[in-house]
Amino acid sequence: MTDVKVKKESTDVVDIENRIKELCQQFPQGITDQVIQNDMPHVEAQQRAMAINRLLSVGQLDLLRNSNGLLYRLKDTQSASKMKGSDNQEKLVYQIIEDAGNKGIWSRDIRYKSNLPLTEINKILKNLESKKLIKAVKSVAASKKKVYMLYNLQPDRSVTGGAWYSDQDFESEFVEVLNQQCFKFLQSKAEAARDSKQSPMVQRNSSFATSYEVWKYICELGISKVDLSMEDIETILNTLIYDGKVEMTIIAAKEGTVGCVDGQMKLYRGVNSIIQPTGLVKTPCGLCPVFDDCHEGGEISPSTCIYMGEWLDF
Amino acid sequence: MSGRGGRGRGRSLFTFNVDSLGFGRGEALPTGVQAPSPLYPPMQFRPVPLQTGEEVEYMLALKQELRASSKNLPFHIQPSAPRKDVARYSDKYQSGEAKCGEWTPDWSRLPKELCIKVQKSRKAKTKPVVKSKIKPAAPKEVLQKLENLEKKEAENQSEEEEDEEKKQKKTGEEEEEPDDAEDYNEEEFEEETDYIMSYFDNGEDFGGDSDDNVDEATY
Amino acid sequence: MTAQEARLCGLLLREHFGEVVEKVGVHLLRSGTLNLRALAHETSTSLDLVKKCLCVLVQHGMSKFGPGRRGPAGPVEYQINCERVLYMLRYPRYIYMAKSLYGDTGELVVEEILQRGQMTMSSVVRTVADRLTQNMEDGQSMDYNEVINAFSNLVETHFLQRCPPVDSLGATVTTTSSSGTPESSANTTPQSAQPESHPDCYKLPQIHLSGRGKRRRSSGDAEANDRRAKRAKLENTEVCGDEGIYWQVNFERFHLHFRHQAIISAVASKLDQTSSEIVRTMLRMSEVTTPATAAYTQAVSANEIFRALPPSYNIARPILDQYLTLLVDDPMEFVGKTGDSGGGMYVVNLHRALANLARATLESVVQERFGSRSARIFRLLLRKKHLEQKQVEDFAMIPAKEAKDMLYTLLSENLVQLQEIPKTPDHAPSRTFYLYTVNQLPTARLLLQNCYKAVSNLIERRLFETKENKRHLEKSQRIEAILASLQASGAETAQLAEVEEMITAPERQQLEALRHHINKLDSSENQVDETIFLIESYINSAASSR
Repeated sequence: MTDVKVKKESTDVVDIENRIKELCQQFPQGITDQVIQNDMPHVEAQQRAMAINRLLSVGQLDLLRNSNGLLYRLKDTQSASKMKGSDNQEKLVYQIIEDAGNKGIWSRDIRYKSNLPLTEINKILKNLESKKLIKAVKSVAASKKKVYMLYNLQPDRSVTGGAWYSDQDFESEFVEVLNQQCFKFLQSKAEAARDSKQSPMVQRNSSFATSYEVWKYICELGISKVDLSMEDIETILNTLIYDGKVEMTIIAAKEGTVGCVDGQMKLYRGVNSIIQPTGLVKTPCGLCPVFDDCHEGGEISPSTCIYMGEWLDF
Repeated sequence: MSGRGGRGRGRSLFTFNVDSLGFGRGEALPTGVQAPSPLYPPMQFRPVPLQTGEEVEYMLALKQELRASSKNLPFHIQPSAPRKDVARYSDKYQSGEAKCGEWTPDWSRLPKELCIKVQKSRKAKTKPVVKSKIKPAAPKEVLQKLENLEKKEAENQSEEEEDEEKKQKKTGEEEEEPDDAEDYNEEEFEEETDYIMSYFDNGEDFGGDSDDNVDEATY
Repeated sequence: MTAQEARLCGLLLREHFGEVVEKVGVHLLRSGTLNLRALAHETSTSLDLVKKCLCVLVQHGMSKFGPGRRGPAGPVEYQINCERVLYMLRYPRYIYMAKSLYGDTGELVVEEILQRGQMTMSSVVRTVADRLTQNMEDGQSMDYNEVINAFSNLVETHFLQRCPPVDSLGATVTTTSSSGTPESSANTTPQSAQPESHPDCYKLPQIHLSGRGKRRRSSGDAEANDRRAKRAKLENTEVCGDEGIYWQVNFERFHLHFRHQAIISAVASKLDQTSSEIVRTMLRMSEVTTPATAAYTQAVSANEIFRALPPSYNIARPILDQYLTLLVDDPMEFVGKTGDSGGGMYVVNLHRALANLARATLESVVQERFGSRSARIFRLLLRKKHLEQKQVEDFAMIPAKEAKDMLYTLLSENLVQLQEIPKTPDHAPSRTFYLYTVNQLPTARLLLQNCYKAVSNLIERRLFETKENKRHLEKSQRIEAILASLQASGAETAQLAEVEEMITAPERQQLEALRHHINKLDSSENQVDETIFLIESYINSAASSR
């Protein structure tokens, strides 16, 4: 039963997409969301949004802004104009790449699909690239792998690695900044709870923050150039758990509550370590990179140790 | 390993990850580090500062005090005194000087074989240590004083003795000097008899009332 | 016994008992069990010296003896207790603990017994009273009774205990069946009998001792000391009624107390002060009823806890319930709930707490030594048990190259382990999972060895620094001695200043630097011992819960 329902929905989406495209062809200068809404009042906002998003992501729609707000416009099917002068082989390759959407396709897979020799394909790819019809995007999945997609497409997360990648490089600093900001938020929440002087139970409960709250805080900070999802934030919060600075509790929550997923809600709070740095690391030996090579009378020895010397004079 | 690789080359020669020391890719390394990997590679982090405070200071004082006073207790066993070849016999007639904190083991709690017959204990007594001055005057003296005491105690041991000890450590097995060895054998023989005697002697409580020539040893 | 333990034992024995005891002790440690003659022969030390060394070691409870492999008729054999030797490192902490529990008197009682291994109550009382009197203003003195009180308190709380009785070895020869005393010699090593198995272990003897501490004259006065020694000898022959009853420090009891302190401060740090006071109360309540190796305390009801809380704490009953709930809810699980009677039955999870403390200790070492991102990976592995490298990168959000370097470093330091899980029976690397993991217990053992080595290194460095400055030290001591005698003879200030100037400014500076170095090294020893204590307790608890 559910199966049938899903199928029905997906056909609906295709219908909606087609209708939107028709609308766009009717109004080549662009249409607003209101136009679409008026045209198909029976369609739910969520479904409408899904269809639009898909069209945007596969590069069939363009999003423009004018004085009235956002406008959707059909992307001019450049293929017609730009592919002028191209031979059939080139058109075939272009078609294959276009079909691959924003996930892109690997040159070897183009070969399988087109049955053209690799040298020929490489020539064509170069040609298409120079015409800015397609682009090569490095995939985070394998550092040497390049995938091709239409020039104006926004690469999929699986290709870019999501919010944490820029040009296929993992943005370590960005992650650490977010890690610190999330912690700051949870820490101040815990402090406020402690200072509230309320009953211990209330104190503890008010030191918790849901992932939604943290997400909202980070979004409002505006430190991220890309849109972060709540999942992204939970990934960051997990690093704080592994840093030993945050604890997470899962509680049952009513469906529909903000931040609630599958009837569960994740609560986070900043916590203190149970110990101070341990005694061993207060000595050079506890941090010594040549500890195992050190023995009295040896080339490296406690008596001659320069780490020890520096530390003693400090 | 050649240390001749030019700047930026030969980074892989290091046994540690250069980047982890904070040198970015392509950055020139400090010139000193270019030589074959240093004996003491730079440490990535500093030790955490030691704890401070009253408790820490007090425990430090206790530790140093214990160290100083342990040298004055009878449990601090002096190695055999360096004996002069002559007048060895007279040694055993030397009466021990006033030794602070004498210790008379309770022989009922020890295997009797450990009891040294006073007659034979010349080695034990040859090196009377003047300790009277050093017995801590007051329990809670300042650190400095205790350290001094300790040093003073160390001073009491003759340099000669120390040298001998050093030599002993180096030579390992052949530790004892020839005359020591000789002496040792002699003793061993004596003890042998002693041992057999006590073997037949079993069952008898080993107290002051046992053998005439076996006095309770005092360390 | 490991090489690092043996090395540290040697250094500690040397420090307290001199180099001969070090040599004999270390040899005994390495050999396990030896008789007197073998020991003398193998260490090339004269029999008399070895005898003395053994007496010292037995006196301090570091060595035990018993009939050997050849039975009671064979030679007596000796063993040395490595653990007990290492406790010497902790002496300052035992003494400090006694001070904070029972004041200056308790402090001196424990200090004296530690320094002498075992003592009769009467001699402790006399010695401590004298020492305290020495510190008092002129005309005042310490009453024996006060020392007797402190001593009694320490015995009642089991910090001191009687040394187990020893049958003379002569007697052991004949007995196998008809021994007079219950704990006699059928046992192969009479000394190994657990002190607590003796019924009188914590029974105070009746002693006939009254009076006050006596003052010694100025310490430089050899004659006075002479007299004092004579007097001491005289006194020692005085019959007090406790002859032959020796007391020793009950290290296990001290360790229990240290362990509780560690748990209490962990709770204070993780939760808050009040929570820690509640846990302190729970630990105190069950102190007597909980065996030392138990995994958790005897259960106590919320009602009982409420009554036992210090009145100054002023916690309302419902608030106490809230605190208890929070303690039980906390992921550290310091406290567990075992039932509902009496307003809820609660226990302190001792072993769990120790495991958490040990884990935090390991984490702290990785954090400070390799940085917080390596520590993130380490904690991640502690939590998730087995992870592939890619998973480590993803969870820790650390770039592949960096994560690989960190994992490699941790692996080469044996802080993490790599497990190969072949997917196919041919063990082909391409079809093998490589899983990283952290094994807490073995890692703790490794770290413990590192601690022993670190302390040995600190001691070696201290010896080296002292040796390097020998000349300066000797000079300053000579001058101080001169100054002292000048002062005693009422010399003029100008004259004193002149002598003082014999130490040049640079010399003074150097001595000052030396003092700074020695203090730092000594303090570090004490602080590394805290790491040692936590890890040892954890390892012992893990062993006993098996």
